[in-house]
Amino acid sequence: MDYSRPDLVERLSAEYALGTLRGGARRRFERLLPAHPALQDALQAWQQRLQPLSAPVAPVAPPPQLWESVQRRLFGEPAPQPSWWARLGLWQGFAGVATAGVLALAVLLGQPVPVPAAQPPFVIVMNSTEAGATIVKAGFVASVSADGGALTLKSLGELTVEQGRVLELWAVPGKGAPQSLGLVAGGQATVLRAQLLTGTAAFAVSMEPAGGSPTGAPTGPIVSAGTI
Amino acid sequence: MSTTSPAEWTERSRELSRLLSRVALGDRQAFEAVYRSTSAQLFGVVLRINSDRAQAEEVLQEVFVNVWRAAGGFDANLSQPLTWLTSVARNRAIDSLRRRAAEPATISRFQGSEDDEGGERDLLDAMPSAAAGPLELLTRASETHALEECMETLSGEQRSSLALAYYQGLSHAEVAEQMSQPLGTVKSWVRRGLLSLRSCLDRAAGLVSGAAKGAA
Repeated sequence: MDYSRPDLVERLSAEYALGTLRGGARRRFERLLPAHPALQDALQAWQQRLQPLSAPVAPVAPPPQLWESVQRRLFGEPAPQPSWWARLGLWQGFAGVATAGVLALAVLLGQPVPVPAAQPPFVIVMNSTEAGATIVKAGFVASVSADGGALTLKSLGELTVEQGRVLELWAVPGKGAPQSLGLVAGGQATVLRAQLLTGTAAFAVSMEPAGGSPTGAPTGPIVSAGTI
Repeated sequence: MSTTSPAEWTERSRELSRLLSRVALGDRQAFEAVYRSTSAQLFGVVLRINSDRAQAEEVLQEVFVNVWRAAGGFDANLSQPLTWLTSVARNRAIDSLRRRAAEPATISRFQGSEDDEGGERDLLDAMPSAAAGPLELLTRASETHALEECMETLSGEQRSSLALAYYQGLSHAEVAEQMSQPLGTVKSWVRRGLLSLRSCLDRAAGLVSGAAKGAA
């Protein structure tokens, strides 16, 4: 195409700004744009002409964690999200705490301390994370049946979750993406699933929009986590 | 030409422009201020075009990642900051429709039409329900702006097809489907509508401010 033809430049710029230039034509236009000042000028003029049309579009507040996601993508910080499960090493310190937690819990419940004899149920204490503590103080105890087929999650205290948010439980493998085990309703959850412990390195609870993570991976901050 | 010089901008435009120039220098606080003051508006624009909430959130993230990286390319002498930001948002939103069209699970109801209008998405996915319709928005836009007179010079079909394309991110083929009209007819409505709009707006801009220009 001859982009030096003024009428063509006008038409393509107008349709690009309007949004009807699609497919290969749209991509070609974008490729040519940086090198063609005439295209840039025409496009800017069209964007400015059509801009008033956007004024009456009702604003919609994006979810609060979106800003955090933007920052993480750009600056790799405060980072509970993109690769938190990759940083499991940092959590190893929790293991000691978890053991203490098991003892404390056993005492609390007046039950004998589980002895690693036959196949005791696993009890994992999930501590409130540093990032999570500012949002919701959420400690949990997860007990997994010896055969790894059932998990019961209970919150360690009062749990107040902000309106429109829910907590979601995840199984975090040593390698790969976490798998959702469902939502934590009223501070507890019960999960029945075969082989809950196979390949699982930790459990974690994240804060998600109502209905749970829309992506199938944790999108909100991790508020609580515990390694196995 | 409708670009106004920075001296005529509103206070908000000047503030945004100042912030963007600081973003270009790597100022994260300025970046956050831009986000706080524009994200809801841009999210609204993105959601009109791509009504899939999760995808729209993804698009908005990309928009601001792009703003951070490309703020140096914003030239206050060439465009207003909100126009620049809106254009980034609209382009990303339209690109996200293309991505969706490329997903095998989506059954396209349209063949690629003549020239380059490639795969289109399923129109049924795209229609937001409760929000104001495109024509209603167009009316409101016209009410708040001198654009009104120019919109009135267009035929009803031209207005409708421009509104569907702009607000809903519909392609020619989708507008044609929506209006139950042949593709060629819709293309010509869009093309003529844009041409009339331009000549009317440029004429109005040439007449400085006042001048109740009819051109009807």
